Amino acid sequence: MRAAHFCESCGKVQPPAPTDYFSYFGLPRKLNIDTAQLEREFYRLSRKLHPDLYARASEQEQEWSTERSSLLNDAYRTLRDPVARTEYLLKLEGVQLEEQSKAATDRARESGGEKKQVVPPELLEEVFELNMQLQELKLSKQMGEAADERVVRDLTAAKQGFEARLSGLDQRLQQTWAAWDERSGQRHEGDAESRKALEAMVEVLNTRSYIRNLVRDVNAALEA
Amino acid sequence: MAYSDKVIDHYNNPRNVGSLDKSSPEVGTGLVGAPECGDVMKLQIKVNRETQVIEEAKFKTFGCGSAIASSSLATEWVKGKTVDEALSIKNTDIVRELSLPPVKIHCSVLAEDAIRAAIRDWKTKQEQTASKPVETKA
Ligand code: FES
Repeated sequence: MRAAHFCESCGKVQPPAPTDYFSYFGLPRKLNIDTAQLEREFYRLSRKLHPDLYARASEQEQEWSTERSSLLNDAYRTLRDPVARTEYLLKLEGVQLEEQSKAATDRARESGGEKKQVVPPELLEEVFELNMQLQELKLSKQMGEAADERVVRDLTAAKQGFEARLSGLDQRLQQTWAAWDERSGQRHEGDAESRKALEAMVEVLNTRSYIRNLVRDVNAALEA
Repeated sequence: MAYSDKVIDHYNNPRNVGSLDKSSPEVGTGLVGAPECGDVMKLQIKVNRETQVIEEAKFKTFGCGSAIASSSLATEWVKGKTVDEALSIKNTDIVRELSLPPVKIHCSVLAEDAIRAAIRDWKTKQEQTASKPVETKA
C-alpha cells in the first residue's frame, strides 16, 4: 500500500498520517529492497514536497508539506542503510533491544542472579585488549616515539582479520533477510520462522557493533 | 549533545582509572559491553574478606563520555561499601546523579552491569577457595 502523500483528485498534499517508513515508500515490510528504486522515489517525492512549491499554499498545506518532507528524509536515511533498516524492522516488530537489556539488569538486581552478556566473554576480552594496544600506540605517538614496527605489523594483520569478520557478519545478515522476506505473504501472528529470523538478526547485530568499532579504531590508529 | 557538568568533570578527571591484579583472590573483575554501541567497560574491586568492604576499585572504559563518567562514578560509590551495599546501586541512581539524557541510559546500565559482574566474580572466587580441600601437612 502506498501511503497517500497527495490527494488523488486535486493533487494537494495530505496531512501526515501515522505510518511506517516502508509503507511511506509503498514498500512491503521486506529487507531486501531495490535501493536504486528507493533513491529515485526519494528524489521524486522530495521534488514534489519542495517548500518553494508551497510558498503560496495555505498555512496548513505548508505545514503538512514540511512535516511530510522531514518524515521523508528520516525514512530514506533509515531504509537505505542496511543496518539501520534492519534495526528499524526489529523495532517495528516489537524487538526492543535496549529495553530488553535494561530489563535483564533489573532482573539480575532483584534476584541476585547473573545478567548474561549477549556476546561471548572472549569477544569482550578481545575488544578490550585491542583497545589497550591501540591506546598504547597512541600514547607512544604522542610522546614523539616512532611507532614500533612490530606493533604496526600486528595491527595491520588484525585489521584484515576484523574486516573479514565484518563482511562475514554482513553476509549472515543478508541470510537473515532472506529468511524473513521468504515468510512475507504467509506470515501469521507469532510465526515461528519469522521469530527465528528476527532473533538471528539480533544476534548478528549484537556482535557487529563491536567488530565495526574495531575496524574503525584500528584504521584511525594506523592512519594517525 | 550537551553533557552535564558532572559528566564533563568525570570525563576530564576520571577517578580510579587503572587495573588490579585479576588473579588475586581478593579481586573481582567485571568486563561488560553494550551491544547497542559496541562500547566496553572493565571494573575491578578489591574486597576485604573479613569485613566484606570494598577497599579499592578501578575501571577502564573504552566508550562514550557518559560511559566513562558512569564507571568513574561507580568506582567512587562502591569504595567503602560492603559488597551487599554495592549491589543495591541502581543504574537510575547514576542517571540521576549525572543527569544523563534518555539516549545515554544504556551507558549507566553498563556501569551497573559492571559492578554486578565484578562482585559476582569475586564471590565465585570466594566459593572456590572455600570449597577447596584444606591442605593438611603431614
Ligand atoms: S554510547 Fe554506548 S556506552 Fe555510551
